[in-house]
Amino acid sequence: MKKLIASIAAIFIVTTTMAQVKFNFAILNTQPPAQLSEWGNRRDVLTLLATGQGAAGNQFKIKTEIKTTDGTVIASADLAKTPVFSLNSTGAPLILVANDVMPLEFMVFTGKYKTSLQRTGKLPAGNYIICARPVNITDYTPLGEEQCKNFYLATTQLPILMKPYNEEVMDAKKAQTAIIFRWSPVVPTQPSPVTYRIQVFEVLPTQSPLQALRSNQPLLDKEIVAATQYIWQPQLTFMPYDNETKKLPTFIWTIQSLDATHNPVTQTDGNGEGRSEPILFFINPDKDRKPKKDN
Amino acid sequence: MIKKIIACSFFLCTFVATASAQETTDSLLDKLKDKAKEKVKEKLNISGTMGITYEGYGLSRSPSGWTGYQPRRPWNQVRFIFTPTFKFSKNFSLPFNFNFAAIPTNFAGPYAGIKKPSFGQFITNPMNSFGINPKYKWAELQLGTQYLKYSDLSTGDIGIFGIGVDLRPKTFLFKFFTGISQQGINYVAGPPVVTGAYKRKNWMAQIGTEKEGKYLFALNIAKGKDVPTSAAPPPLTIRPQEGVVISLVSDVYVENGIYFKAEGAQSTFTKDVATPLSPVLKSLKPFIEAHTSTLTDYAGQVAVGKKGKKFDLGVMVKYLGAGFQTIGYPFLQSDKLDYTLNTRINAWKNKMNIVASLGQRVNNVNNTALKAKQFIGNLNWFTQFSDKFSLNVNYNNFGFQAASSFNPYGIKNVSNDLGINPTFTFTGKKIIHLISMSYNYSKYDERDVLTGLTTSNNTHTALLTYVPTYLEKEIAPDFSILYFYNDVPGAKITLATLSAALSMQAVKKKMRLRGQLQYTLGKLNSFSNSNNLIASCNIDYKLTKKLTWATFLTTNYYKYGNEIIPNGANYTETTCRTGFQYRFDTKKQK
Repeated sequence: MKKLIASIAAIFIVTTTMAQVKFNFAILNTQPPAQLSEWGNRRDVLTLLATGQGAAGNQFKIKTEIKTTDGTVIASADLAKTPVFSLNSTGAPLILVANDVMPLEFMVFTGKYKTSLQRTGKLPAGNYIICARPVNITDYTPLGEEQCKNFYLATTQLPILMKPYNEEVMDAKKAQTAIIFRWSPVVPTQPSPVTYRIQVFEVLPTQSPLQALRSNQPLLDKEIVAATQYIWQPQLTFMPYDNETKKLPTFIWTIQSLDATHNPVTQTDGNGEGRSEPILFFINPDKDRKPKKDN
Repeated sequence: MIKKIIACSFFLCTFVATASAQETTDSLLDKLKDKAKEKVKEKLNISGTMGITYEGYGLSRSPSGWTGYQPRRPWNQVRFIFTPTFKFSKNFSLPFNFNFAAIPTNFAGPYAGIKKPSFGQFITNPMNSFGINPKYKWAELQLGTQYLKYSDLSTGDIGIFGIGVDLRPKTFLFKFFTGISQQGINYVAGPPVVTGAYKRKNWMAQIGTEKEGKYLFALNIAKGKDVPTSAAPPPLTIRPQEGVVISLVSDVYVENGIYFKAEGAQSTFTKDVATPLSPVLKSLKPFIEAHTSTLTDYAGQVAVGKKGKKFDLGVMVKYLGAGFQTIGYPFLQSDKLDYTLNTRINAWKNKMNIVASLGQRVNNVNNTALKAKQFIGNLNWFTQFSDKFSLNVNYNNFGFQAASSFNPYGIKNVSNDLGINPTFTFTGKKIIHLISMSYNYSKYDERDVLTGLTTSNNTHTALLTYVPTYLEKEIAPDFSILYFYNDVPGAKITLATLSAALSMQAVKKKMRLRGQLQYTLGKLNSFSNSNNLIASCNIDYKLTKKLTWATFLTTNYYKYGNEIIPNGANYTETTCRTGFQYRFDTKKQK
């Protein structure tokens, strides 16, 4: 009986000294933004709860590692530089977010992952594991169990505009009835259907194309869900060839890709508006008489 | 509304009065100068234009309260243009470029949604330009709004309000410009929502050597930096950014039409200046210090070819690294490799003209898992077989393929278009008959990433145009009939359009008139027909040699079939654009 009591006491002592801090991933978005620096701006990406009794005045550091699915460590926190955290004395969980768990300025990446991060701010597309363990602030000995979660990274690629192709000259007689717009879908396939907002802007003779896009009201502003083609009936009479500026009636069009909450599917790439690179098309109203295109 | 119209009328009247007074002054000056012609040699030369245009838009929807069709133009807009160039001597010129509008209509970009701009926001709004570029010999001072293109990979798409120089002594080249491309704009939750923007400061410089038509070697540097405190409340989805791009350009043209163009560039771009500074990432001091969101990547393009009277051939390769980003081209889509082969052939005594291009674009270049490939092919073949018959054939292909992450099948979209356009011309004693036929077949295949099944979207378009040209009359009518049919699983769209137009001159050829009527009958699946009638009219009246009054009026009536609720929904929209343009022309004074 004495041996049993001694054993229980020993287990209790070991447990209380070896596992004083407990981590629990409350939130980990399985498909977080590919841009790692963006994790810190988003509360929905990562939340870690820390509870328990810490050593040395309830203080600890977080040893964070990112691994590939075969267990290879591709990044680890530089513990000499990472911040020190203190557990809540009330016993309430300490809430930690992405910037606390994975401070990019103190993460050391290796090999091609380092190169990729420096050049693109992203890791190569694929599955990864993030692991976090509480450690002592002086000798970095473990203070609790390691917690790991899987996530998938993929760069969102905005649609490429396909038709009308760049600088296509269209016959006014055909364009007056219908113009077909086509574009490639957002890659990779998104968890919810993408809303494609197609916009067509008239470029006035005194404007540059991008100036028109950034300043004019669009002649077409239509949202299309999960389809990559739209047939537009312009219901317009195209202005004749401008003898003063020697320009054909010119239009610029683009696609804005929106997610289920009506936000741009990517806010970290390019213009931040989820707008594809716009392209031009021209309408030739006098094709049968005197084809001219001086643009 | 009435106040606006009165104000616009006042502006228009004032403009006409001013322009007429200007003209009267011009003619008096002409007479005086004619008299003193031999004594005084006038050197001032003014060219260019100035004008004012009013645009009005109206939309009436039925039944009352139905909002299924949204307005697509501003209700009222007044645009001003003032672009004279004063040439004081052979060496000194003073061009103005003032283009501005009274009401902001920004829908995309930093000014989207703004309704009551401050003076600074008005000046830097991309819908307005206020530029003056005095030039003396090889030195140009750049003041106000400037759209400066230094190169394809450094800067060129944005307008900046500021100050700079463009100096070209002999073959040397030195350019510098600094200013603001956008003001701080506060976020407004709306409605209407204003996304907001940070104030952006820009600097750019170019140094090099150039001999026009022979060679260009230049080093470019362009920088942009947002001011994080310039918007309160700040934009929710936009981050304050900072970027620097350095590029080296070289163009060489050889006498026999051979050319070589190349540019290499490096960008260092911070996506969010609020992120912590990073000792790990590369800085480009003194231009930019690295944050954890800083990227450094490369881009390059090379074009080699030969241009001739009968034959052109060129190859172009363009690479944009995934992290390449420049403030000067805000919509540039990076992470791609393009290579294209272009050719143009003129044969058969220039009666045959062939233009073709073939190429491939690879997106997600460094990312094998999601690499996307697009094949691009275009051909346009025109042949004038005789005075009476010509034929144009065109073919376009655009294919897109990519993996789709977790789905069993990859993305595959292929667009094919074939067009055939024969034209017949018959010449009589008093009339020339032109009959043009056109048929287009467009096929769009799209693979479902879950089932692997491909759906085809087929479109047929047939157009017949008749244009009689009267050799002894001042009228020019044209007539056309068009049939459009689109077939995709679940939807069949048929459209038939009849169109007639008439152009003529009147009032001793001072007035040009053009009217057009167009009726379209549409049908979607088995729903009842939709109807669309468009009537438009252009009137250009030359009030004097230098003053023109141009008016465009159009009305569009559209009635839906029973494919939408409420049944019988319809709308009528009207557009009126009228304005005066005065053309400066003092060449006679020389």
